[in-house]
Amino acid sequence: MTTVAADQEDTHHHPKPRRRLPIGSLEILCVLLVVAVVFQDSLASLLGSELIRTAATRFVAVCVQAIPFLVLGVLISGAIAAFIPASALRKVLPRRQALAVPVAGVAGVALPGCECASVPVSRRLMQQGVAPSVALAFLLAAPAVNPIVLVATAVAFPGNPEMVAGRFFGSLATAIVMGWLWARFGKLEWMAERALRRIPDRDGRSRWLTFVETARHDLVDSGGFLVIGGLTAAILGVVVPASWLDSLSEQIVLSVIVMALLAVILAICSEADAFVAASLSMLPLLPRLVFLVVGPAVDVKLVALQAGTFGKSFAFRFAPATFLVAIACALAAGYLVGV
Amino acid sequence: MKRETQNILLVLLGGALLKIALNGTYLRYVKPGQQAWLIGAGAIMVVLAFVSITRDIIAARRPEQVVAEVDDHGHSHGGFQSHSTWLLILPVLAVFLAPPALGEDAVNRAAGRTPPPPSSSQDFSFPALPAGDVIDQRVMDFVERAAWDKSGSLNDRNVRLTGFIVHKDDSTYLARLAIGCCAADAYPVKVKLDGPGLGTLVSDTWVKAVVRYQPGSSTTESRHVPTVTLADIQSVPEPPDPYEY
Repeated sequence: MTTVAADQEDTHHHPKPRRRLPIGSLEILCVLLVVAVVFQDSLASLLGSELIRTAATRFVAVCVQAIPFLVLGVLISGAIAAFIPASALRKVLPRRQALAVPVAGVAGVALPGCECASVPVSRRLMQQGVAPSVALAFLLAAPAVNPIVLVATAVAFPGNPEMVAGRFFGSLATAIVMGWLWARFGKLEWMAERALRRIPDRDGRSRWLTFVETARHDLVDSGGFLVIGGLTAAILGVVVPASWLDSLSEQIVLSVIVMALLAVILAICSEADAFVAASLSMLPLLPRLVFLVVGPAVDVKLVALQAGTFGKSFAFRFAPATFLVAIACALAAGYLVGV
Repeated sequence: MKRETQNILLVLLGGALLKIALNGTYLRYVKPGQQAWLIGAGAIMVVLAFVSITRDIIAARRPEQVVAEVDDHGHSHGGFQSHSTWLLILPVLAVFLAPPALGEDAVNRAAGRTPPPPSSSQDFSFPALPAGDVIDQRVMDFVERAAWDKSGSLNDRNVRLTGFIVHKDDSTYLARLAIGCCAADAYPVKVKLDGPGLGTLVSDTWVKAVVRYQPGSSTTESRHVPTVTLADIQSVPEPPDPYEY
């Protein structure tokens, strides 16, 4: 797996020559920057509004807090893509699927990355002959139970170590249950043929270039989604009246459902979502734990990524099932660790 | 989105992070401990982009080496990616405008939060306050002690608090925002000021105020916002780290 993300890179950036508008993204960027400089004063006067000023500060705060975590995550995922061959992982997996699923789930601990990175990695695993159920368990576990995410959760919830435990067990359980469900009920024909086709290894590149390319690709790929998360968190923070979420906090069932849906819609990178959950401090911990378990397993950007990678008929069966399983596992884990 | 554009966005964003980490603006958004992380992350982003740019330049000089590969794998995914990447320009622009630290608006918008009772001691006994005519305290500590200290150690003490002025309804407060992680999770800690001429104080001005706790004013009804008698107040410049942690 020398070039997991990097071989996509090639397909993106050296497309077949085709007729296109002479204006490219580079020109658009230049125009945007010039416009920003010219209208700097009007942009700055936007900050005259107290509402926008507060939202802007919160937005920058989420980004500034989360980007270092994202960078650390993509560096590690790049290093794994470059220096640890997938065949090594396949060798350590037990032959029996029922056993291999939990092993793959726990292996997610050692292979950190945000959910956008784990989609190509698990596809790569399938292409290398790992059973789909096992690769899917890895897909769900890796973004949620890796050390970076757990440390971020601990930092975001100082004084609530049970949130870290709840998140770890809830997400791991989700991954294992979904892996077993797939092993029992899953059908290969739901998956697009392209997801299973084997790709010959390309060893031509030096490992360091693969490392840099994978890290850069993951960063660019997930950075945009991080911005969506930061924006949504900032806007929600100022627009939703505190009293509204206060009233939600008394209805635990409703708040669990709302937070689960919020996790799907917000689609925040798992390395940053703990901070968003921490900021919704008017809610009790259990709905926020549901948010943290559902978010890395199923959200709008992940469904889109999965539909693109594994095919639509796969994604539209897998995502709703994961959603329900994740809520159940989060509640069970929350109950067990005493959140 | 083209690789070149992605690289330029990475350089801009990494540069923006480096800029706020080095000029101290980052304290408006996160805790001081985040500085090293920001410098590291900013530098790595710039390095990743430059490695990629250098490779592209080398590849462009030897065009025969670049093989156009046709592959149906990543296209739906690829289109998806290129659109979301544009959003990286938003934090660049936002950092460029450098929104100020949270102030009165955030205090009035936030729900009040009861200070957590100190977990270490069952009888809520606090360590003795230092001796002295006027003692400095963080607003957070003052509010906590007012809410939970049964021994009344704050009574008859002059305490100097640093914070900014907040008006809400007819009341005037000295407030500070406390953050757990970053400014997005900030919650206000405040004391209600009691004294003459409070209406003339301008919102969001930073002040050092010498105050005296009015015993019994920190109750569940007042949401544990203590009322204090104002003895002296003077304007000060905004401190470099505007939050309490």
